[in-house]
Amino acid sequence: MNGAKPIKQFQKRWQQFLYVEAALYAVGFGGLIYLLTHNIGYGILGFFGALGISVWMTRPWRVSETRAVNYIDAHLPQAGYSSGLLLVPAHELSNLSKLQQYRVATQLEPILPKTRPPQKMFRAALVMFGLIFIGLMANYMLTSLNPFPSDGSANKDAIIFAPKDSLSSTIKIPELTDTKVTVQYPSYTQKPTLQTSLPNIKAVQGSRITWHLAFDGEVQKVQMELMGEHFDFVKVQDQYRLTKDLETSGFYSFTFTDGEGNEYVSDLYSMEMVNDEPPLVQLEGLDNYSYFEFGEAKQLSFNATISDDFGIEDAYIIATVSKGSGESVKFREESVRFDKSISKGSKRLELQQQLDLDALKMDPGDELYFYVEALDQKTPTPNVARSETYFAVIRDTVTDMFAVEGNLGVDLMPDYFRSQRQLIIDTEKLIAERGTISEKDFKFRSNELGFDQKQLRLKYGQFMGDETEMQSAPGQVSPEAGEADHDHDHDHEGGEEDLLDEYSHKHDSDNEHNLVVEDDHDHGTEEEKEDPLHEYVHDHGDPEASTLFAKSLKAKLRDALTIMWDAELYLRLYEPEKSLPYQYDALEIIQDIKNSARIYVHRIGFDPPPIKEENRLSGDIEEITNVNKEEEFDYQMSFASSREAIYRLELLIQGEKQFDDADSALFEDAGNELAQKAIAEPLKFVKVLQGLRDLQKASDRTKEAYIEVQRNLLSVLPKVEDNPVKRTTYQDEINQLYLKELEAYD
Amino acid sequence: MIDGVQLLNQNLLWPEVLVALLLLTVFVWKEWEQRREKRFWIKSVLALLAIVSLTMIVLQPARFQEETKGKAIILTEGYRKTQLDSLKFMYKRIPVENYTKGKTLSLLEQADSLFLLGQGLETYDLWQLDDASVAFLGAEPIAGWTKISHTTNVSLGESLQLIAQYAQPTQGHWAILADNTGNPLDSIVFGDEEEQVVQLTATPKARGTFVYQLLEKDSTGTILLEEPVPVKIEKGEYLKILMVNTFPTFETKYLKNFLAENGHELQVRTQLTKGKYKFEYFNGASGAVYGFSLEKLEKYDLLIMDTDTYTGLSSTSKGIIEAASRLNGLGIFVQPNESLFRLSKNRFPMALERDGQTEISLGQAVETLVTYPYKFEVDVRQQPISVDSTVIAAYVPMEKGKMGTTVLQNTYQMVLDGKDEVYANIWTQILNGIAKSDATKMAFEALTAIPRVDEPYEFEWRSLEENPQLVNESSAPIPLLQNLTVPTKWHGSQYPQKSGWNQFKVANDSTVAFSYYVLDKHQWKTVSMAHTLEANQREFGRGKGFSDTSTSTNRSLKPISLLWFYIVLLLCLGWLWLEPKLFP
Repeated sequence: MNGAKPIKQFQKRWQQFLYVEAALYAVGFGGLIYLLTHNIGYGILGFFGALGISVWMTRPWRVSETRAVNYIDAHLPQAGYSSGLLLVPAHELSNLSKLQQYRVATQLEPILPKTRPPQKMFRAALVMFGLIFIGLMANYMLTSLNPFPSDGSANKDAIIFAPKDSLSSTIKIPELTDTKVTVQYPSYTQKPTLQTSLPNIKAVQGSRITWHLAFDGEVQKVQMELMGEHFDFVKVQDQYRLTKDLETSGFYSFTFTDGEGNEYVSDLYSMEMVNDEPPLVQLEGLDNYSYFEFGEAKQLSFNATISDDFGIEDAYIIATVSKGSGESVKFREESVRFDKSISKGSKRLELQQQLDLDALKMDPGDELYFYVEALDQKTPTPNVARSETYFAVIRDTVTDMFAVEGNLGVDLMPDYFRSQRQLIIDTEKLIAERGTISEKDFKFRSNELGFDQKQLRLKYGQFMGDETEMQSAPGQVSPEAGEADHDHDHDHEGGEEDLLDEYSHKHDSDNEHNLVVEDDHDHGTEEEKEDPLHEYVHDHGDPEASTLFAKSLKAKLRDALTIMWDAELYLRLYEPEKSLPYQYDALEIIQDIKNSARIYVHRIGFDPPPIKEENRLSGDIEEITNVNKEEEFDYQMSFASSREAIYRLELLIQGEKQFDDADSALFEDAGNELAQKAIAEPLKFVKVLQGLRDLQKASDRTKEAYIEVQRNLLSVLPKVEDNPVKRTTYQDEINQLYLKELEAYD
Repeated sequence: MIDGVQLLNQNLLWPEVLVALLLLTVFVWKEWEQRREKRFWIKSVLALLAIVSLTMIVLQPARFQEETKGKAIILTEGYRKTQLDSLKFMYKRIPVENYTKGKTLSLLEQADSLFLLGQGLETYDLWQLDDASVAFLGAEPIAGWTKISHTTNVSLGESLQLIAQYAQPTQGHWAILADNTGNPLDSIVFGDEEEQVVQLTATPKARGTFVYQLLEKDSTGTILLEEPVPVKIEKGEYLKILMVNTFPTFETKYLKNFLAENGHELQVRTQLTKGKYKFEYFNGASGAVYGFSLEKLEKYDLLIMDTDTYTGLSSTSKGIIEAASRLNGLGIFVQPNESLFRLSKNRFPMALERDGQTEISLGQAVETLVTYPYKFEVDVRQQPISVDSTVIAAYVPMEKGKMGTTVLQNTYQMVLDGKDEVYANIWTQILNGIAKSDATKMAFEALTAIPRVDEPYEFEWRSLEENPQLVNESSAPIPLLQNLTVPTKWHGSQYPQKSGWNQFKVANDSTVAFSYYVLDKHQWKTVSMAHTLEANQREFGRGKGFSDTSTSTNRSLKPISLLWFYIVLLLCLGWLWLEPKLFP
């Protein structure tokens, strides 16, 4: 007998088991892949991949006869550790071995076919089912979590027609075979033309929408109803076509008439218009207000970021320069191109730009307003957007002086007054020239500046209501400078007495140019001097009664005056350097005051037409006639049709009437009423609209539909406006009698 | 007792006597031979007895019996089981009957002292117990709606008011007034009370006959109970208004604009100067009014005039407008200024007192309105008109019409402030209160609070017609009973055949139809239970019992049992038959 055969069979069986095990893993993995991807191709690929890997891992071909023998020896005691003998040809064995071979062969023969080779079939099956189970779970979770199931939606959005009335004839209902909606976006958007079969459209303003509808069967007329208006389709070959430009959002539906004159209507679809947004312009790296001193480099630099949803056509800077002030202000507008050229159609631009105020021919005191303007590519009229306006000012060094009198409406300041700023400039000039001019000249000029400072102080002091000694020759009364002028002698004959005389030019008299005719009246009575302000202001003679300024302003001015005292002092002491800080302080305070009081209100009045004296108060009304006026208001309760529709629906629900054409018309009116509202709040209204629309279809005229539409209508309608009404009551005799008696005994 | 014996077949008495005498004669003649024997007399007496018995069998003697019929229990819906048990324990073998609506109680034959358990009998069955003495023992307390009352006829634009009472509410549940399709309109949450009165308001949005709903929802929003609230909403008509002013004011101008824009037919006359007027006609008004006359005023529903016009009226003119109000129902509204309130009651019939307040506020989103420093006095005749329970105006009825004014001033300020809605609300309330209402020729009023199928629906019908005739839906005439003292008042009743809206019409005018809503048996169940309970309590008094002695004794004629006569007859005949055999 050949004992090798069972061993070979065992080996083969072992190998088969391993293959099956590998196949189980592969099936499990392949199944998992398929369940996850829903693609049979991937599933098969996964199966074969997993099969390869698992076969390579288990290596069934490595199960040799030797391994089989080893296994049998190890696990079957009947083999007596000599099953290997069975594989050796008999003639190669010793007798004893032959005996053993025979013994083993007979012992193993019944057992071996029942012996199962080592295998992990159970584990493999478990893994397979585990993987498939995981796949199923994942599949379930994905589908249940997915909010937008892809299947079936295409079907839902297709246009479906339903007959408007129950059909009278047996003719085949024409069917819509092809729907094509073409949305042609405006060319500037550079969006490709959209072809779709879905009737709910969302497109940019100005898009051109074309509907192609094809029917099988005879169709007389196809119409689109858009917000209460009807548009006819044009028949081109076998198709019906309608083209409309998208100008407003709205809802629309289709109707068609078949050969027999039966009408069919579709559902309601939305047409949503998206507005082309204007470009967005932002400037960075710039303060809203920039100030430049005259001497600085007057450069403004900034970054402009411009973006648009479809593309920018152009962008530039609009700069306005204002020159002068008050009535003489002049404006000059310029558009400045960006240095970098604008690439048309780009959606986002980042531009760096420098503005040179000198290049704009700006002088001190001039102000620059500028903004960036951007246009998009919308046709026919582009959207224009502009940035915020920015300001740049070159500070003026001269004109700040006319501060206080700005309030008074009268220019009180004599022309030859030097402003504080002028004084500063002159003082600085004096200091600078100190080395080059003679001592006397220096002192003379310093003194003179001191005088000017005093004049200025006195001038401001007047506003404070200070006792001023500024008479016709104010210069002579300065306590510091004019100690010799007690006699008010304008001729300066007392030269000896005036130590400063040699330095002080006649200038101090404030009338050196003889602008004012010297009147020789006695100024000794200084209280009676005429105040140049007298005619214009009420009496501020008393400092306490001064009402010109608010308290804080007064205090400020007082401060300024004190500081001016100091400034003058040092000028008089020929120490202009020391005077200069005081002068600056004074200037600052005066600027403050100036800025804090800038209000001017123009007075307006009413000029009545002249009355004829002879008619006045005569009591003659003959020419006056009765006036008659007639007017009609077509009052409609809000949503009148919708409210009537609710009533009509109730009758239909109660079965008190049949649906007829009047109802159809009423529901259409109600729909049109509500459509206006629906554009603003589509979510709230679209259900009602659809419901009203559906009532045009014979198949939808059920009691449930009526109730549903009525419910929706009632929920969206606002309440009735208050309006007095005439009621009907029954006038009961007894009540009348009662009221009459009540009155009688009152 | 003897005197009480009467013969039920009295009419047969004389023929009977004759027949009996004849029979007796025949018998005596037949036995005459034995007259000498003692047994003749015995036999004669027996024969007499037999014949008398026979006669009595035919004549049926009866006698008055003073009898107590005894006690019984009538069970109606909602009775307490324990109460029944203890009654049964106290009165052994007491008869019990379950009450069925509309059926006669058979127990009344034998019992006249009744324990009435449960809610009691329907109002239309109460007559059955008229003769009985009843102890009404009441029912289990009702949980649910016990009262629902609401406006049944509403003009479009006015609000529907519903007041209902709920017994044993669950805290946290909601009472919701919803429209016919279930859209909620107003709601209130129940508190922790034995009984809660809820007041719900809604403004209907469309005309028609609707069945609104009163819902009870639990805190999760599940509907537990749904009761129908039938409402009829009618569209009101536009008013015809005449405004007369001595000089133009903003107040008039804005009121005029408001009324004209809302479609009312309006004529405004403003005096420009002496004898010269500005006439404005809106929405088809025509015919300048220079002076008042009854004819001219007849077509107007409302006359609005300022104080100066009112005080400047001649006594004739004043008489005319008052007559127009009394006879035709014209509403007169006087736009006030302070001098109006100072007029004596002879000159202006309204009573006001100075309270110095120049502001009132309305509503929850508080609106402050400027008023004259006066308020309306509480007066029997004077009817207040209020907005959000603040009195803003009042009127006095003038027979058919009304005259009124307001304490508000410068209401146009509200329009300027952009509060058009408040302005409209205020003036709608005021003018609705004062304007003339159209007189209808007929009206009906339901007497049955809860109409149901196959139960009598009683109503009162008012009509100025001589002989009004009503028909029901199947064109069958409804009999009407005229009231003795008020000839325009008629009483009728009918049995509705279906639940829902039912109608009856005026026989000779098919356009006039009156509808009423009939509830099916599941609707307003607790309400009708409460209603019945109340009616029974009113009828029998709560807990009013009867003492054992007070049992009523009824004297009634009872036939003497015929058995006795038959026995006598049988014995007599027996002896007469046996005797010849015993003693031949």
